Amino acid sequence: MNVPSEHLFFLSSALFALGVLGFLVRRNVIVTLMSIELMLNAANLAFLAGSRLHSAPGRPDLQGPLFVIFVITVAAVEAAVGLALIIALYRLKQSVETDSASEMKG
Amino acid sequence: MAEILFYVLSAVALLGALGVILARSPMGSVLSLLGSFFALAVIYLLAGFQFLAAAQILVYAGAVLVLFLFVIMLLNLGQLGTRFQLSLAPLAGPRARLAVTVAVALGLVGLIVAQGAAFGAPPPVGDAGLDPLPELALGLFGRYSLPFQAISLLLLATMVAVVVLAKRQRKEDGR
Repeated sequence: MNVPSEHLFFLSSALFALGVLGFLVRRNVIVTLMSIELMLNAANLAFLAGSRLHSAPGRPDLQGPLFVIFVITVAAVEAAVGLALIIALYRLKQSVETDSASEMKG
Repeated sequence: MAEILFYVLSAVALLGALGVILARSPMGSVLSLLGSFFALAVIYLLAGFQFLAAAQILVYAGAVLVLFLFVIMLLNLGQLGTRFQLSLAPLAGPRARLAVTVAVALGLVGLIVAQGAAFGAPPPVGDAGLDPLPELALGLFGRYSLPFQAISLLLLATMVAVVVLAKRQRKEDGR
């Protein structure tokens, strides 16, 4: 694929911006969590684009892929804990809207 | 050919991301996210990251999104919900939230453009791709063995935390 790495970065920033928009705009906690996953994926893409940029012909740069492996693991962990919290919230409030949990009034 | 495929897949990934925000039901959001993740996996493959493309599909599409679907179905949230209501009071109003998004996007693009001098032609991708597994494994168990063990600890802690969180039957039960 002969696409310049800039375009991977552009795609990454666009995906991240959409993730931020979803995080701010939606009230459903599950969709909020999905927006976070989207942002983590955009970060992964940026890591890989950077790694591609710094790879020499016979010597691939491995830090990007290694970090992506760690980020994927953390994203899975975050999803598991987040969904458990959503289940706990639903048990308490019978709702998964963020407005239903406003006791602390931050 | 691969270039055209890349741009088509980028469009699919962005449309999927847009679908996550625009879908009225959480189920639609999950399916849009699935499309976006699959497009991203093929982009990884095109860019030369073969193992990570497989990991993307296995972990995200296979585990994380199934978990999302499981919770949506368990809590019976498939019906239509509220759509664009903002929960953050300081950011209320459509202009402010558009401004935040545009600012984030412009900031990221500006950061990239500012470093544009560093960009060059992409390296040729060999048979092993840009993430050859033997080297990755050596990195994980060699130089990065400390973060690797930390993340195993994190996974264990997560398992315990999720069991504790999900075990409680009623709020009267206390702990």
